[in-house]
Amino acid sequence: MDSLIETLRNSSATSQAVAVSVGCLVGVFATLGFFWLIIWGAGKIEKKNKAAGKGD
Amino acid sequence: MQDVFIGFTSITWQMVVMWAIGGLLIWLAIKKEYEPMLLLPIGFGAILVNLPLSVVWEHEGVPGFLKILYDGGIVNELFPILIFIGIGAMIDFGPLFKNPTMIFFGAAAQLGIFVTMIIATAVGFDLKTAASIGIIGAADGPTAIYVASKFAKNYLGPISVAAYSYMSLVPLIQPPVIRALTTKEERKIHMTYRESNTPKWLKILFPIIVTMTSGIVAPISVPLVGSLMFGNLIRECGVLDRLSKTAQNELTYLVTLLLGITIGGSMKAEQFLNYQTLLILAMGLVAFVFDTVGGVLLAKLINLFLPKDKKINPMIGACGISAFPMSARVVQKMAQEEERGNIILMQAISANVSGQLGSIIVGGLILAFVPLLCP
Repeated sequence: MDSLIETLRNSSATSQAVAVSVGCLVGVFATLGFFWLIIWGAGKIEKKNKAAGKGD
Repeated sequence: MQDVFIGFTSITWQMVVMWAIGGLLIWLAIKKEYEPMLLLPIGFGAILVNLPLSVVWEHEGVPGFLKILYDGGIVNELFPILIFIGIGAMIDFGPLFKNPTMIFFGAAAQLGIFVTMIIATAVGFDLKTAASIGIIGAADGPTAIYVASKFAKNYLGPISVAAYSYMSLVPLIQPPVIRALTTKEERKIHMTYRESNTPKWLKILFPIIVTMTSGIVAPISVPLVGSLMFGNLIRECGVLDRLSKTAQNELTYLVTLLLGITIGGSMKAEQFLNYQTLLILAMGLVAFVFDTVGGVLLAKLINLFLPKDKKINPMIGACGISAFPMSARVVQKMAQEEERGNIILMQAISANVSGQLGSIIVGGLILAFVPLLCP
């Protein structure tokens, strides 16, 4: 990882921008994907609670 | 005697141009109602700072009130942070909890940030400035100001003006791009909406989880994400209604007022009137166009894998930008124009809320990644 960062530091600004873009795109999809998982999981738990008659 | 007329003798043509620009921003705010809360103070601040001697900024070594506000609210990022608390208190993640799959449009519709950042480096800007220009595509004024105040203070004026101007122009920018990328049949797609109750514990836990996740993934993003989510927690906890209302109203209005005039104060003629400002304004438009492209194309891609009766109206993808609720309204209006009675507003709102989340996360990631490559 360090060598990749070092290589990118010595490359052109456009290459750096492409690298930052790829990193950010992966990062934002992964982070929002994680949030989706939490919301989806919460929905499942809520359904189970309702089925068991607990409610909110 | 010369000192008596110093106000007249020190007028330059650059000052006159800046008065005209300030006047134009005020006109847009009042006549066209384009983001008046920001554009009017920015316009007036631009006039103030470009008056002879620029006393509001600095005179004979003594800082003026705009310079004091700039140092105390922009340089240390205090104003954007306070505004984030207010915005957080305004955001209702409820629609997103009901349509969680819409969250991915909040990621795809950030494409404009990256395309613009790459273009900006190609035309000669360094990475930090290019990232600050790209973030105009977040369609989120405070995020743009926050990133620009960290990476490109010299361009704070044009970046802020571009961010807020294009946000107000979403109803003009998005429809032609959406039409160019979709067929009439696609724009007529109906989507069913299932009403469901969101558990209160999720509304309370969500801002805490988002803050902690962001803090672990990109620690430098914590002021940005944390203040937004703090505002949201105040809103959702159910026991701080007065604080929530204060954050949504008094805090936001007061800081917006100071933020606007201070940004205007940073628009000195010698910094604003150059080729780079024109480039930044042009690239801001590119950012908004590619945001829309990213969201619509993701929706079309997802549709390739969905059965016919479950397809997504691809216009929804365009709502993944942070301009809330303007983008959702624009798309709903387009859906109605294509076919009366086609209601996709709730899904559009869900995607729009995701955009608010996506833009701030990208802002945080940019703050984390750029210094790694450009210390």
